Amino acid sequence: MVAVAFVSVRSATLLGIHGEPVDVEVHVGGGLPGFSIVGQPDEACRESRDRVRAALLSSGLPWPNRRVTINLAAPMPHRKGGSGLDVAIAVGLLVVQDVLPPGVAESHAFIAELGLDGALRGVAGAVPLAAAVGAPRVVVSRTDERQARIAARCDVRAAADLGEMVRCLRGDEPWPAPAIAADDAADLHDQPDLSDVRGQPAARTALEVAAAGGHHLLLVGPPGAGKSMLARRLATVLPRLTGDEAVVTTVVHSAAREPLPPGGLVMRPPLRSPHHSASLAAMVGGGTAAMRPGEVSLATNGVLFLDELGEFAPSVLDALRQPLEDGVVRLARARTSVVMPARFLLVAATNPCPCGEGSPGSCRCDDRARQRYLRRFSGPLLDRFDLRVAVSRPGAVELLSREDGEPSSAVASRVAAARATAVGRAGVLNGALAPAVLDAVAPLDAAATGVLRRELEAGALSARGYHRVRRVARTIADLDGVPETVGERHVVAALALRAPVHRG
Amino acid sequence: MDDAAFAAAVAEVAGPRQRLALLTRSSPREAWESLAGSGPRCDPSLPERMAARLDDARCNVVWTGGPGYPSLLDDDPHRPAVLFVRGSLGVLESRRVGLVGTRAATAAGRATASLLGDGLARADVTVVSGLARGIDGAAHRGAVMAARDGAPGRPFAVVACGLDVVYPREHAALYDEVAALGAVVSEWAPGTPPDAFRFPLRNRILAAACEVLVVVESREAGGSMITVEEAAIRSIPVMAVPGSPRNASSVGANLLLQQGCAPVMGADDVLVALGLDHRLVACAAPRPRPGGDDGVVLAAFDGGSLGLDGVMLATGFDLPRAALALGRLEALGWILRSGPWWEVLVAAGS
Repeated sequence: MVAVAFVSVRSATLLGIHGEPVDVEVHVGGGLPGFSIVGQPDEACRESRDRVRAALLSSGLPWPNRRVTINLAAPMPHRKGGSGLDVAIAVGLLVVQDVLPPGVAESHAFIAELGLDGALRGVAGAVPLAAAVGAPRVVVSRTDERQARIAARCDVRAAADLGEMVRCLRGDEPWPAPAIAADDAADLHDQPDLSDVRGQPAARTALEVAAAGGHHLLLVGPPGAGKSMLARRLATVLPRLTGDEAVVTTVVHSAAREPLPPGGLVMRPPLRSPHHSASLAAMVGGGTAAMRPGEVSLATNGVLFLDELGEFAPSVLDALRQPLEDGVVRLARARTSVVMPARFLLVAATNPCPCGEGSPGSCRCDDRARQRYLRRFSGPLLDRFDLRVAVSRPGAVELLSREDGEPSSAVASRVAAARATAVGRAGVLNGALAPAVLDAVAPLDAAATGVLRRELEAGALSARGYHRVRRVARTIADLDGVPETVGERHVVAALALRAPVHRG
Repeated sequence: MDDAAFAAAVAEVAGPRQRLALLTRSSPREAWESLAGSGPRCDPSLPERMAARLDDARCNVVWTGGPGYPSLLDDDPHRPAVLFVRGSLGVLESRRVGLVGTRAATAAGRATASLLGDGLARADVTVVSGLARGIDGAAHRGAVMAARDGAPGRPFAVVACGLDVVYPREHAALYDEVAALGAVVSEWAPGTPPDAFRFPLRNRILAAACEVLVVVESREAGGSMITVEEAAIRSIPVMAVPGSPRNASSVGANLLLQQGCAPVMGADDVLVALGLDHRLVACAAPRPRPGGDDGVVLAAFDGGSLGLDGVMLATGFDLPRAALALGRLEALGWILRSGPWWEVLVAAGS
């Protein structure tokens, strides 16, 4: 008879982008041989039984031929998803069978999936999971080792398979040396560059202003004008992420099991470009028991690019409004609610009308068809775009020119300088300035005030639009090397970059 | 019950050809009686209901051979047998010029149509058009403005639906003004929806009502070109406003010029074609051409439309410099912002 019939092993499961500590309670008692998991496991979790049994037998470790009950105990009752509890269950079974000493369960947490051959495999969310466990030491798979170190508050150990892990836990052999961190710079190669873009001076300027001030950007133009090409290069002129930003973005990407750079930490601003068939859950998150982060969260500290804006489902587009306003997305479900970061720069591209040509004189659509097309975008969403510019097809002269456009690095340095000016002055980027501080932070000279007064009196500018134009003008002045009073040239430039979407 | 109700009832149940065949042979009452009982729609109470509908729609009815039917249509083989009228048909006694064009007009095209409407109305010419979006609406707007300003010319509209169905809806106010100052007519009974097939039919009446037809802006194919064909059948002279060959909205008008139509640069040209004294039209004083950056930017437009990109590429100006020049040109009325583009309102040479 075994001495210990019960043991509790620490692990964690994922909810949104946070790890939730879970105690895996293993009980082995009399009765018919059997195996059951209780405590709201999901399907992947229930399948653990078969993986754990095969892994133990393949590794030459014993399987208890008795009645086994696993309970997944957590402070908050929620559905436990995923396969990351496999190793914790296996360790529990080994402890009750005296293969491992009882002390192991107290000093270690385990986060990994098991292969049928006994190999330890990576799981989704290794970064937040390792951060959530309360044990002095956490054991993960070799693939998750570097990620786990990013946020863990404890010692991280990795093993290749169950056999190696058991030998190390028993003290028969030392833990393998930690993997050497790869060079962070390795993920910088192969980026697209702004020098590929010929011509299109207005769109380039808009891109620079968007990056410098955190202003959302809408590109309107015919097919083939290079809207997507431009948008994809926005991330390359944004500064590299700061330490805190990198950790937040890495946590989200890890929780969604997106590929991470070799260094483990996401250092470049991410670019997310979901196809227009994206579902609501894909865009804002949720949809699974583990509440997988959506595209808005994956784009945190980076760029969310929506190509063919008009083709997205209206409900999906309207769901963007709350994250755009708050910088976080709050998802509530019957069993649970989660808050995930969603602070991104929104860039969208659209054709101007059904025929795609748009500009007066070349568009073949009648007014009605054009209005029907534009009605797909709700006013409140269009209002969120501080910058709206027409992109035209580059002409033969520009395409044949041997001269490259200005490279991303040159633009990026101006962007970084303007960002530093803005943050040094107000603590936030210009796009996030509160209306109340605009007079202090972005004072207007007399001519600039006159321009804006005329626009307001002509009804061409709403109150909200007025604040937005002032924020953009502030950014243009910063890029112009004028950190104090905003002048007329900056205000008219901001107005020119804020095109009305509807043709008169 | 009077003949008007019977004529309206005939119009309600019979198509344009059948109406004409019936009403040239017989009075409205006889025409109705020959129709009554010939189908489920020919309900004996229909004339009574039509009388009520005419009252509700505040419109009169004239029919071929009847009192008040415009004499200029009498000899037309495809004339409308019944016309519903709001306003006064007296405006057809004056000289009449049709101004037609595409619904997808450029700002410059609309401005031209409006100027022509205004100039013709000031020269005591009735402006005939279709109250559609784009050129039609702009032409009528010009005529209405001039008439309100005391000009003798009047607007006259032929529409393709019932007179109580205003299409397009955004022209409701303009529609009322045209009816008040001139007249709006239709060959369809009140309540008839603006179905697509009614527009080509409407265009034949429009063409028949003109002495000269001016095409301001038109695609290669479209409603205006149908009107042009109807005018050609009736030997009504067609004139056209030239446009840039790169402007898709002017292709049709330019083709007409190529085929020998006389070009229209202003209201004077039309008045000359009518044999009228064109000195009545006041010539707009030429404005000084903008100079400096503004002149460079205006020249870059080359008579068409440009986005911010195009302006910056053509001039080499940076964004603030281009934006300042665009803002000044717009304030002075040389260009107009239209969505993310700017359009030239005044040709660079004038």
